[in-house]
Amino acid sequence: MLENNIFIILSLFLVGGSLGMILFKETIFSAFSFLVAMLALAGEFALLNNSFLFMAQIMVSVGAVVVLGLMVIITLNKQDKNLPNEEHKFLWIIFSTILVLPFSLLLYKALSSLHLSFEETKEGYGTLKMVGETLFSRWVLPFEAVSVLLLSAMVGAITIARKDDYSKKEEK
Amino acid sequence: MIADNFFILAIILFSIGIVGVVSRRNLFVIYMSIELMLSSVNLLLITLSRLHNSLDGSVMALLLIAVIAGEAAIFLAMIIQLYRSSRSLDSDDFKDLAQEKGINI
Repeated sequence: MLENNIFIILSLFLVGGSLGMILFKETIFSAFSFLVAMLALAGEFALLNNSFLFMAQIMVSVGAVVVLGLMVIITLNKQDKNLPNEEHKFLWIIFSTILVLPFSLLLYKALSSLHLSFEETKEGYGTLKMVGETLFSRWVLPFEAVSVLLLSAMVGAITIARKDDYSKKEEK
Repeated sequence: MIADNFFILAIILFSIGIVGVVSRRNLFVIYMSIELMLSSVNLLLITLSRLHNSLDGSVMALLLIAVIAGEAAIFLAMIIQLYRSSRSLDSDDFKDLAQEKGINI
C-alpha cells in the first residue's frame, strides 16, 4: 500500500515536470521542471529495487547532464528576441497529442498483453555487486563499445563547439 | 505494485517527449524532449528487468545512461555553435541545408 502511494506521488512529479518542460515559455523554467522530472525518475528506480541505477541516475542524469544544460542556458545570456515566437504553441501541442494518442494506445495494448506481475526479488538484486558482476561477465563488449562512444562524443563536442574562423569574421 | 502502471507511465513520458519535439521550436526544449524519451525507455528497461528478475535490463539501462550523457554533450555543443553563428534559438532559422525551392512552412 505504501509503495502504491509513493508511486502515485512520484508519477505526479514526473508527469507534471515533463509537462511543465514542454509548456513553459521561459527556457530556464523548463530546465528546472526537467530537473524535477529526472529526480522523480530516480525515485521510480529506487521503487523498483534498483539501488545502483538510482545512484547512477542521480549522479549522471541529474548531476551532470541537466546541470550542464542549465549552465549552458545561463551562459548563453539570451534575450527574448533570440527565442522563437511561437504564436500557435498550444494548437500545435493539442494536434500533435491527438496524433500521438493512437500510437500510445497501441503500445499499451502490446505491453499489457505480456501479462507480467511483480514477484519477490532474488537476494542482492540491483546492488552494485550484482550489477557489476553482470556487467563484466556478459556485457563486456557493449561496455567497451560505450567507452569508445563516450570518447568520440567528447572529441566531437570539442570540435563542434570550438571557436573557428567563422566566428572571428563575425567579431570584426 | 502493478506492472501496468509502470508501462503506462513510461508510455506517457515517451508521448510527452514526441509532442515536445514535434510542437516546440525552442532548441533547448527539443533537446530536453529527446532526453525525456531516452529516459522513458530507461524506465521501461528497468521495469522489465525487475519483472523478469534478471539484471540484464539494469545493465542495459546503465549503458543507456552513458549514451544519454554523450548525446547531451554533442547536442549542447551544437546549440552553442548554432547560437554563435546566428544569434537565435529558433529551429526554423537553421535551413542552410535546405533546397532553394524547399517546402515553406
